[in-house]
Amino acid sequence: MNRHRGTLGLAWLVLWVSAAAHADTVEKQCIATGSGDNRAIVAAADAFRGQLSDAERGKLDRPFARASAIHWSNLPVAVVPRDALRLGDLDAAKSASARALLAAALSACGLALFDEIRLADDALIPLDTRNIGWDARNYFLSILGTPSLKTPWMLQVGGHHLAYNLTFNGRLPGATPLFLGTEPIRFTAQGKSYEPLKAQSGAMSKLATAVARYGEAKLSGTFTDVVKGVVVEFVPGKPPVGGTDTGYPHQYPEGDKDRGVHYSRLKPAEQALVSDAIASYTGLPGEAITHDLVAAYLSPEALAGTFIGYAGATDLGQEGSYVRIDGPRIWMELIVQRAIATPTELHYHALWRDKLADYGGEIGK
Amino acid sequence: MRFLVACGLWFALAGAALAHRAPNSVVRIAFGADRVHAEVMVPRSELEHAMAGAQDAKSFGAYLLQHMRAEAPDGARWEIRVRSVREASYLDHDYLSAELELVPPRGAPPGRFVLIDDAVTHEVRNHVVWVVTRQDDELIGALQYPRSRLTVERPAATRTAAAR
Repeated sequence: MNRHRGTLGLAWLVLWVSAAAHADTVEKQCIATGSGDNRAIVAAADAFRGQLSDAERGKLDRPFARASAIHWSNLPVAVVPRDALRLGDLDAAKSASARALLAAALSACGLALFDEIRLADDALIPLDTRNIGWDARNYFLSILGTPSLKTPWMLQVGGHHLAYNLTFNGRLPGATPLFLGTEPIRFTAQGKSYEPLKAQSGAMSKLATAVARYGEAKLSGTFTDVVKGVVVEFVPGKPPVGGTDTGYPHQYPEGDKDRGVHYSRLKPAEQALVSDAIASYTGLPGEAITHDLVAAYLSPEALAGTFIGYAGATDLGQEGSYVRIDGPRIWMELIVQRAIATPTELHYHALWRDKLADYGGEIGK
Repeated sequence: MRFLVACGLWFALAGAALAHRAPNSVVRIAFGADRVHAEVMVPRSELEHAMAGAQDAKSFGAYLLQHMRAEAPDGARWEIRVRSVREASYLDHDYLSAELELVPPRGAPPGRFVLIDDAVTHEVRNHVVWVVTRQDDELIGALQYPRSRLTVERPAATRTAAAR
């Protein structure tokens, strides 16, 4: 029995080292411009704040409290106004300084995605007949609390299809909630082709395709959006409210039923695809922010409670196609929705949550 | 006037935006002296994933009776009657709306019950049912798969009013 236990333990260790090394390879491609080092981010934040006028600082600075923290959305800014500092209002010098702050906080992939998602919004401007705010300039920056090496604070960057919520010095490392979306999925701007969520959709599609041979991987039911995203509360006759993360903290599935195929059932090559998919999300913030999170997600204990589920088409070519990684802490989703501006096409929403460490574990009900 | 224009603009914008979202359901609860009235609004776009067959008024009422229940705290079943069903439109989405009457069993208090509703959530995993008070739209709770049961209590303010 003990020998059996030892063999099992060794197998877990090999799997974990192999999975971590694989994820590390993917992540290494994404850390060129910024490591997520708190010291560098605080310095960049201070430099940026120093350039702003009092009025601009007034828009940038927010208290580190629930109301400010949950104020992110995947709805256009005309519907859920972001009351932070609008990046489109900054002059060239301040824009460069803001970008230096983002470069310090995000990986190269995270920064590139920030640019490409906004370019996708720009592609929708000619179709925005109701002025709901698709526009690369309608992305916002806010600092919750005071940038510090010791006390908790947050850096929020977001707009229509992106929400980076990075928490520093919290009880837990905070890279989430992290929302991504893109419409169009693919487009050309100034002669260059873009597919902003190619890494995430590609990794999730490969994973779904690989696990589809396990019957329990197919989730029951229908998906029309991410499950733990922002929610609009409405009462007929009144303007809807919310559209932000008012549902936080969320409840998550428990037990083994209808959560997908268990990680332990997968072959090593399939397990590597789980690591790749995780890395395609965790590689967006700087590595210093996500290092401990990745280690936690890929620990033997975590993988022993991790499930992979999907619905719809594994190539993500149909509306309602959905892929999810659901572990003791990790919650990663990707959904294919009907496009809004061009309803004959599709678009993506993707969400990464940490069941313990959203907002660094600093925000309560 | 400026306010009305602003509201109109807001609704136009919100409609466009909510087209972006998968719309949710709402149940508005009003407590009477001996029964409860509930207005149930379900978006057709989500209902079509959950309800087989035609989504007409008659079918919708019967469908709701299969998927909505109310129970006393001891588990005794309340009676639910469908008073009316109508079509509604709100923020670019079409809804079916039903007026229900919930009657407690003899001896059960009308001010506290468990609402059971999986009309859409048994199928649509991201769907949320908002349960609010009809009087002031105060949030009582929300249901999302796999949760389908919610304890509903008469708010303190209406408790006094109903006693008069």
